[in-house]
Amino acid sequence: MSEVLLEVKNLHKRFPIRGGILGREVAAVNAVNNVSFKINRGETLGLVGESGCGKTTLGRSILRLIEPTSGQVIFNGKDITAMNSDEMRVMRRKMQIIFQDPYASLNPRMTIGGILSEPLDIHKLFRGKEERRKRLYELLDQVQLPKDTLNKYPHEFSGGQRQRICIARALAVQPEFIVCDEPVSALDVSVQAQVVNLLMDLQKDLGLTYLFIAHDLKVVEYISTKVAVMYLGNVVETAAAAELYGNSKHPYTKALFSAIPIPDPARKSERILLEGDIPSPMNPPSGCHFHPRCWKCTEECKVEYPGITSLSGTHDFKCYNPIEKGQ
Amino acid sequence: MSEEKLLEIRNLQVQFNTDRGPITAVKGVDLDVYKGKTLGIVGESGSGKSVTALSIMRLIPDPPGKIINGYIKFKGKNLLDMSLGDMRTIRGNKIAMIFQEPMTSLNPVFTVGNQIIEVLDLHQSHLSKEEKKNKAINMLDLVGIPAPEKRIKEYPHQLSGGMRQRVMIAMALACEPDILIADEPTTALDVTIQAQILELMNKLKEKLGMGIIFITHDLGVVAEMCDDVAVMYCGRIVEASDVSTVFKHPFHPYTKGLMESIPSFDSTEDETKARLKTIEGMVPSLFDLPKGCSFQDRCPEAIDECRGKKGPPLLEEQAPGHQAACFNPLK
Ligand SMILES: Nc1ncnc2c1ncn2[C@@H]1O[C@H](COP(=O)(O)OP(=O)(O)OP(=O)(O)O)[C@@H](O)[C@H]1O
Ligand SMILES: Nc1ncnc2c1ncn2[C@@H]1O[C@H](COP(=O)(O)OP(=O)(O)OP(=O)(O)O)[C@@H](O)[C@H]1O
Ligand SMILES: [Mg+2]
Ligand SMILES: [Mg+2]
Repeated sequence: MSEVLLEVKNLHKRFPIRGGILGREVAAVNAVNNVSFKINRGETLGLVGESGCGKTTLGRSILRLIEPTSGQVIFNGKDITAMNSDEMRVMRRKMQIIFQDPYASLNPRMTIGGILSEPLDIHKLFRGKEERRKRLYELLDQVQLPKDTLNKYPHEFSGGQRQRICIARALAVQPEFIVCDEPVSALDVSVQAQVVNLLMDLQKDLGLTYLFIAHDLKVVEYISTKVAVMYLGNVVETAAAAELYGNSKHPYTKALFSAIPIPDPARKSERILLEGDIPSPMNPPSGCHFHPRCWKCTEECKVEYPGITSLSGTHDFKCYNPIEKGQ
Repeated sequence: MSEEKLLEIRNLQVQFNTDRGPITAVKGVDLDVYKGKTLGIVGESGSGKSVTALSIMRLIPDPPGKIINGYIKFKGKNLLDMSLGDMRTIRGNKIAMIFQEPMTSLNPVFTVGNQIIEVLDLHQSHLSKEEKKNKAINMLDLVGIPAPEKRIKEYPHQLSGGMRQRVMIAMALACEPDILIADEPTTALDVTIQAQILELMNKLKEKLGMGIIFITHDLGVVAEMCDDVAVMYCGRIVEASDVSTVFKHPFHPYTKGLMESIPSFDSTEDETKARLKTIEGMVPSLFDLPKGCSFQDRCPEAIDECRGKKGPPLLEEQAPGHQAACFNPLK
């Protein structure tokens, strides 16, 4: 039986927008709204959605790099939202993050050896000189970079290599869980595939659990066990990757899949073209936030956000008028 | 049916002087653009797509850049021989370009309407003020911006990314150009918005019958938008033909590798996922390209000839209407 490593319960993050000379709160963005999900040990939850829907905020709130407004994050049976900063520091070792931009996230003045040693120093791991060097070589080996990498600087590496260095840095402290925030979005297609394969190999070898954030549905579908779709702060549908694609229930999920250009000129995709733009998260539409763009919208959609419907306990969605199979 | 050739590029070579010495970013590119057709240029970052496009517009910054060889004939006339004044009438009027980042190419201090009218002032000065304003409204309507009479009074920051890109397209089309060059026009946009823009461009092509050069790194976009495609690698075209031919039977191992490294949705349930196919290694730096074929170090099909002194392979006909630059093309 698979064991739950991470459970997120009713997580909420609200950013106040302040204005005027008094800095009063003039508006607020509910960047993450009442989000709940579970991730089993050794599995990957993919998180997709368009720009500004709250993916990064959710990922960072889980690690408490941003303080959530309310809700719980339960890691290995412990509620980390209730932990004090000392307990949290110990916890951080188990939970790491990889960012989208491998250029901005490496200090240009440090050697790769220095960059990889830093987390080991913080957590006081592998302290003997010989032991330290062995660990650094092991890390480079895991991300398939040569030994002489240690003495070089970030600018001497390509985008894909830098992302490998970021992955090695996250692995240094032997985490169990990694938030991957768009780790391949900035990379060229041919290099993207290398990094995706590497992340999957590491998961198998080290038993890692991932939250994998991306806006590229093809990559997410490929790497994930389950996928959650976000729209304006809400998770609107969650299902196993193949089920989500083959049996989308939420109209937004369906539209998102159909919008992806398919690299096969013989296949004419039946495209669902959504009207209009993504509304501002500061002033989201009433009821279901998707209703102004939805072709299945009815009166009730405009009034109240739909609750969760669950199909056989594994496929959840929030919609009053879900798509029927074959529709 | 005979096709009307609008643009013929032969042996285009573009060089940049950099701190580390000169690099040739475009190394002998041949391209043809036909009326009513879309030519896709695909390739990874740094392969020379934008430099090729900017050369057509004669917008290569000089210094450090220089077109050192070749010609670009528009309806039979070499653009590279034209005076700057003549070139200015071509630009915008006959050949228009839209850029990847709509925010940086719109002027933040002018209203959307004024920016379109400015284009008309330059190129269609015979129109009256009222006519220009009406035309601006019509253009915004054409690109699917709701309530255009209101929108022309707004500033770029008041529009979403998708709307700004629509405004860019409206400006580019205001003078009914013969050729539209679109340099990654949807890369910065979300997929649902990208789908809207691609649909719009296809509609406008049918309606206005121009030739389009569509630059992208997404083979999916090529499959949906383009009639013909040219694949670029390290400043050269390595494969070119019509889109369905290239997708069905790529000759160049790089083209095949690119196609295979995209995950597809076709994997059925329960099937344990196969590893993604990848292209080994990475794009070499233009400063130390290997002798022979630039792709040799990453190529599973490389033979001695590819590393030899013969220099890089030339773009040659491998099958009727289908060219590839490869010493050991796929069967
Ligand atoms: N520190 C902040 N203060 C105020 N608003 C914020 C802050 N951080 C994020 N937001 C807002 O919260 C919303 C969600 O942002 P977030 O970065 O999580 O989106 P995302 O899904 O990661 O988008 P992208 O795909 O562009 O990375 C956005 O509307 C954003 O403007
Ligand atoms: N102004 C410049 N000065 C020096 N080198 C330049 C200049 N402009 C372009 N280059 C070089 O020319 C090469 C080709 O660049 P180009 O912008 O055409 O690539 P691209 O294919 O459009 O890539 P991308 O997909 O990243 O837009 C690159 O190696 C780039 O560094
Ligand atoms: Mg983000
Ligand atoms: Mg470019």
